[in-house]
Amino acid sequence: MRRRSSLPVTFLVPTLAILLVLSMVPTLYAIVIALQNRELSSPGYSWVWFSNFADLFTDRRFLNAVWVSVKWEIVTVVATMVVAIGLGVLMFEAAGPRLRNFYCLLFIIPVLLPRVSAAFVWKFAYHPLYGIATYPYRLLTGGLIFDPLSKPATALFAVASVDVWQWGLFFAVIVLKLLETLPPQPIEAARLDHAKRWQIHAYVTLPMLKAPLISLMFVKMIESLRSFDLIYVMTRGGPGVATETLDMYAFSQGFIESGKVSYASAMAVLMMIATVITFTMLWKRVQA
Amino acid sequence: MKPYPIRVGRLVAKAILALAGFLAVFPLVWTALNALKNNVDIITRVPKVIFTPTLANITYILGRDSVLTGLYNSVVACGAAVVIGIALGLPAAYAVARYPNRFAGDIQFFVLSLRFLPPVAVAIPLMVIWLQVGLYDTLPALIVTYSLPTISVIMWLAIPAFQGVPKEIEEAAFVDGYGAYSVFWRIALPVAARSLIGAVAFSFVLVWNEFLIALMLSSSNAKTLPIVASELSQQGMNVPWGILNASVVLLSLPPLLFLGVLSGFLNSVFRQKKN
Repeated sequence: MRRRSSLPVTFLVPTLAILLVLSMVPTLYAIVIALQNRELSSPGYSWVWFSNFADLFTDRRFLNAVWVSVKWEIVTVVATMVVAIGLGVLMFEAAGPRLRNFYCLLFIIPVLLPRVSAAFVWKFAYHPLYGIATYPYRLLTGGLIFDPLSKPATALFAVASVDVWQWGLFFAVIVLKLLETLPPQPIEAARLDHAKRWQIHAYVTLPMLKAPLISLMFVKMIESLRSFDLIYVMTRGGPGVATETLDMYAFSQGFIESGKVSYASAMAVLMMIATVITFTMLWKRVQA
Repeated sequence: MKPYPIRVGRLVAKAILALAGFLAVFPLVWTALNALKNNVDIITRVPKVIFTPTLANITYILGRDSVLTGLYNSVVACGAAVVIGIALGLPAAYAVARYPNRFAGDIQFFVLSLRFLPPVAVAIPLMVIWLQVGLYDTLPALIVTYSLPTISVIMWLAIPAFQGVPKEIEEAAFVDGYGAYSVFWRIALPVAARSLIGAVAFSFVLVWNEFLIALMLSSSNAKTLPIVASELSQQGMNVPWGILNASVVLLSLPPLLFLGVLSGFLNSVFRQKKN
């Protein structure tokens, strides 16, 4: 029916060309900068090739940042999926249509907030003396101080809780919608076999949703890389380097502490290579 | 089928849900309340629920030049980037959705993979580039930079929206003698409009909330609202908390305005899947 038209070319080519320019120019330039020794304070530079990369692997703070980033990914992705599946199933089981709509609306609110806002909201809430989230602890212990953001052992989890607050609740809505799209027959059949409710979900519905749930986890893995705003506002990477992820460390090397733009860029390039390779492989496997 | 005997389980489930619902909004409500408090009412060991409200924080925020400039910059930078995203993203998405070619899969993956790029990896070179061409710390630089996420996100979300338009309507229009372009303008766009608005709203929220790139690409003139808000706290906790809370509320309002649109968008996406 559709005859040959110039439409696909005129609609696609300019957009793709612009996307390519906007993405490839900074990407390639990041690599160029990483091979030089640029600093913010001086205009001159020379080519140092791979010495920035070599330095990185002996930089203990960099290795720490890698470890913190890995911890951050694991904690936020796992906790988000657990919260999302848990609340999604609970809504499916224990809430009628109107209540479901109500919860869905509530659960979308946190993710819409700018990360900066969410970070501030919880930074106030976690304040040891005046925070609303630490109030129950003060009340129960008769005024003892609990300061989750300034203890190395708890800081990462305190920041991660904000991330899960935003994404876990939002994904719960999606899990519910996914459950609603399932055909009712297998669930009915399991019920007739006297399966318990949790068994129905563990053995019937969730396995049926395996593919979309994995895609959801994939999205969260990508979004978890964007932790900078939360960490910047809540802890600045502290206490010490307990919450210093790669992007936080790159930022402080490049802009706050020493202005070593090239060194920061080398870090960013390593991050980019690692994430692009990992996610491309994961995506191809998910699609296959 | 006999009814489930255990009522306790259902009650517990309801209680957990109610708690989660409470946790979802209460921190924000509390922030909004703090925005209406005098400092003495915020810095209390026991949280104060009853207090004499004041508008001082809000008027202070709205009277600050830095906040107004930030608001203006955010609106212009995000607005312009979204307009560019619409102009370039929607037609491209339509072409991918309706004129399948052997690259369609690769194009979709390329658009998605732009999201894999770590923001620092983009921000550092862009800062150097914009410095070199003399556009560092200007709105045009920010708009161009933000166009990458808006175009790609709008395109990514609009492809399924266009695929959801019943093919028969478009075929009928072709039979009536419409050209390919007028089918796009007069049929596909209006029919898919509701989902497309959701996609556009989503891209707006995404760049409005963006922080790292704006932080690196601005030093004084082009600061967006998230940067200004975070700077208010740089002075440590000595800053009147009410003012900070008020700025958080101001920053959060625009994305929340889209709550209805976005939840409707989610519903339509999954209704499509079910059919």
